[in-house]
Amino acid sequence: MAIVTFAGAPSRGASRHDIPPFTPRDSALHALDRLAYGPRPGDLDRVVRLGVMRWIDQQLDPGTIDDRALRERVGQLDVLRYDRGDLAGIFVAAQEERRSRKQDTAAATMDPAGRAGPDERAARRLAGQFQDLVVVRAVLSERQLAEVMADFWANHFNVFLGKAADRFLLPDYIEHVIRPHALGHFSDLLLATAQSPAMLFYLDNWESVAASFAPRQGNGRAGQRPRPRGINENYARELLELHTLGVDGGYTQQDVINVARILTGWSIDRPRQGGDFVFRARAHDWDEKVVMGVTYPAGHGQDEGIRLLRWLAVQPATIHHVGSELCQLFVNDEPPDGCVDDATAAWRRTDGDIREVVRAIVHGLDFWAAANVRAKVKTPLQFVVSALRALGADPDTTPRLARVVARLGEPLYLHVAPDGYRETQEDWVNGGALLARMTVAVALSRGDLPGASVNLDALLPATPDYAQLVAAVDTAMLAGTMSENTRRVIDEQVRDVTDPVMARELAVGLALGGPEFQRR
Amino acid sequence: MPISRRVFVKSGGIALVSLGLDPLFLARAAWRLDRPARPTSGDSPILVCLFQRGAVDGLSLVVPHGDSRYYAERPRIAVPGSDVVDLDGYFGLHPRLAPLKPLWDNKSLAVVHAVGSPDPTRSHFDAQDYMETGTPGRKATSDGWLNRYCQHAREHVDTPFRAVAFGPQLPRILAGSAPSLALESLQAFGVRAEGAAPDRLTQAFAQLYAGTATGLLASSSDQAFAAVQELRAADPTQYAPEHGADYPRSPLGRALLQIAQLIKAGVGLELAFADVTGWDTHVNQGASDGQLATRIGDFAQALAAFAQDLGEKLRDVVVLTMSEFGRTIRENGTGGTDHGHATAMFALGGSVNGGRVLGRWPGLDPAYRFEGRDLAVTTDFRDLFGEILARHLGASNLSAVFPSFTPDPSRFPGVIAG
Repeated sequence: MAIVTFAGAPSRGASRHDIPPFTPRDSALHALDRLAYGPRPGDLDRVVRLGVMRWIDQQLDPGTIDDRALRERVGQLDVLRYDRGDLAGIFVAAQEERRSRKQDTAAATMDPAGRAGPDERAARRLAGQFQDLVVVRAVLSERQLAEVMADFWANHFNVFLGKAADRFLLPDYIEHVIRPHALGHFSDLLLATAQSPAMLFYLDNWESVAASFAPRQGNGRAGQRPRPRGINENYARELLELHTLGVDGGYTQQDVINVARILTGWSIDRPRQGGDFVFRARAHDWDEKVVMGVTYPAGHGQDEGIRLLRWLAVQPATIHHVGSELCQLFVNDEPPDGCVDDATAAWRRTDGDIREVVRAIVHGLDFWAAANVRAKVKTPLQFVVSALRALGADPDTTPRLARVVARLGEPLYLHVAPDGYRETQEDWVNGGALLARMTVAVALSRGDLPGASVNLDALLPATPDYAQLVAAVDTAMLAGTMSENTRRVIDEQVRDVTDPVMARELAVGLALGGPEFQRR
Repeated sequence: MPISRRVFVKSGGIALVSLGLDPLFLARAAWRLDRPARPTSGDSPILVCLFQRGAVDGLSLVVPHGDSRYYAERPRIAVPGSDVVDLDGYFGLHPRLAPLKPLWDNKSLAVVHAVGSPDPTRSHFDAQDYMETGTPGRKATSDGWLNRYCQHAREHVDTPFRAVAFGPQLPRILAGSAPSLALESLQAFGVRAEGAAPDRLTQAFAQLYAGTATGLLASSSDQAFAAVQELRAADPTQYAPEHGADYPRSPLGRALLQIAQLIKAGVGLELAFADVTGWDTHVNQGASDGQLATRIGDFAQALAAFAQDLGEKLRDVVVLTMSEFGRTIRENGTGGTDHGHATAMFALGGSVNGGRVLGRWPGLDPAYRFEGRDLAVTTDFRDLFGEILARHLGASNLSAVFPSFTPDPSRFPGVIAG
């Protein structure tokens, strides 16, 4: 057996002088992989012509980017035209329909879905539509960074679509709380989430009442939820642990309780009608509290909650926690110290302006360091979207693409726990999930992926010259990152295929399902 | 005949030129050389966890028919004493659990009653989260207790099938740094393409990953392709249950059939997991018949078939059922029950101390109820799970598996014999 040492792509541990210089095209690819969902056909050239840093500046100011095509596509979607009240009506009707269906069934079947009525179907359709919207926007939007940030914050401030009222509270939350603040000031975003019906319901704060609270009437009708009794700590804990300070933020169980007491009365007006934030003074704990050494004097209502949130937003632990998460998103699963320093410095300098924090990160040395280029693995959403973009594919507005993302392990808005989906590869790189990605890649290359229409002719001519085909796949799909091994394997596979159209499909499927394309 | 030179590179950066051998074979052979030899099937203990999602009504599974309060609280939905399968004069199995009675009689099946979580939440997803992460009250735990067991059990066989969950996504209970596999179906596992030759496609991808992938992508893909190969050898399309076992055609039936298949294939399965849904009976629960009874019937048939199919191999297996909490003692206004606290769990298998209702039954007296309305928890689920890990699987580091909890053998419910 001969032993051959292998020199090739930089990630293979080759020595420094083997690493090719970082060309403008490389920079463009890196920027498109991190600040966007990967290049579409022609994107690399466009960004190189414009200049990578200028493209980045544009992305940091999404309002200046024309996004007409996307707006037209999604403008007609029902789920965006309904407000919380409308959606509440539909979902509540669906729930009642489901209940009466169960009561009518004398011997229930094994299939819990059974024959759904019209309201249930409408509710399901809307939920699916809203999930699919994530994919459609990510594929088609010119404001790519805005989409990346929307996904990031939707996970940082996770709300689970499947929890009862959140089914109709979530769309409004994403559209009016998350998206508008995604590149704004962190403290504004934090406050908006704290007052959103979606979050208040998800983490139960809407039912959190002072220990001394006596409900107006009795224990409710039989079958109804019992009246709330006492504070509910859920939101308080996650506010500190996940949203702001982080698990090592230095707070105690007593602090959690006192935060919960401060936030008593932060509730929802008429939740079943999709109502708004309301501060219920009767449910509020008006006594004095101390949180992490800071005293909140007695006699304060809603304003002490706002004071607390503003204080949390500027704590060093918060800045470090959220800054690190952003470095993890943009640079490396293990956020480098230099990056975190850049992020936190920018945060302090601009009073938590997320736009400027991101700008500092992408201008930092760590962002462009060779060790961090192609160092991350795509999440299922990033994989599906980047594959669609690479092919110039057109997503339709049925929920089918959202289901594809779900099958790869990331059902959108359906992360049950408040920590949201992770950015790190451990969560996604699993044997079964990788095989599923390969299956998706093959289906997509053949135009068989439900929900997407693909036209390979526009991208890659079907040529009987297979060497040219493989080279074209490298350029068009992999932006030149194809390894020697991959080239050889694809070469061997297409060699025996007589039909150039099928050969092209095979080459594209292998490239998109292969290891290079999983990285970003 | 020209020697076919298929070059591939292992993650060490060294290429091996195989002389006409299938590279996948070589990959497996090389991989196998690094790992200790697998013991012959039948020696290693196996744990199968079944999560009944939705909070199963323990009082309907194992009915306290000897307690008049049960009938007073559930005028419409109590299971009549004449219908239960009596166990000990006080408790009886729901009539649809009759298929499990032989396993009770031969001491393979035990019940642990009044078991649950110390955390008072009645939120399904919070409570499921706590039971899967093994840290009640703490939501920030990212990995599951079964995965932590894998991380800390040093002595184990390295196989892609060590920990397998049946379902589309890896459940939280198996989430974590130790490798585990989520499969929907053994037959469909692999790279699938309509009309194309899956073997050839799989091989092509295997070569791509073997040669180019690095880091976690490399090791996970290794595991995936090794698993695909193993499955091919086990030939899932030809599997036939033994000993007359007749699995119901339901998701649970299918999952248990495949788990039995994996066990018999000797692929080194140690942990298996499947979900069973549909236990959240707020409305029109029924009693001896009805919604809940139908689900209980499927559950019993699937478990009985599993035990029958395994035959002798049941000796090495423990099946453990769990649910995030139980249901109210009193029926509600819509013929069902609401979220409660303690529930009943089953342990089935060769090493189980069967034919017993274990735990400390607190009774239905209002004075001993949780928050005045629910069955009280007298066994922390971590003591039950801990006992099974320690005494069936041989785990030695339970505090690593259940952080902030001190496992104490004196609190073990005694579900594992010997």
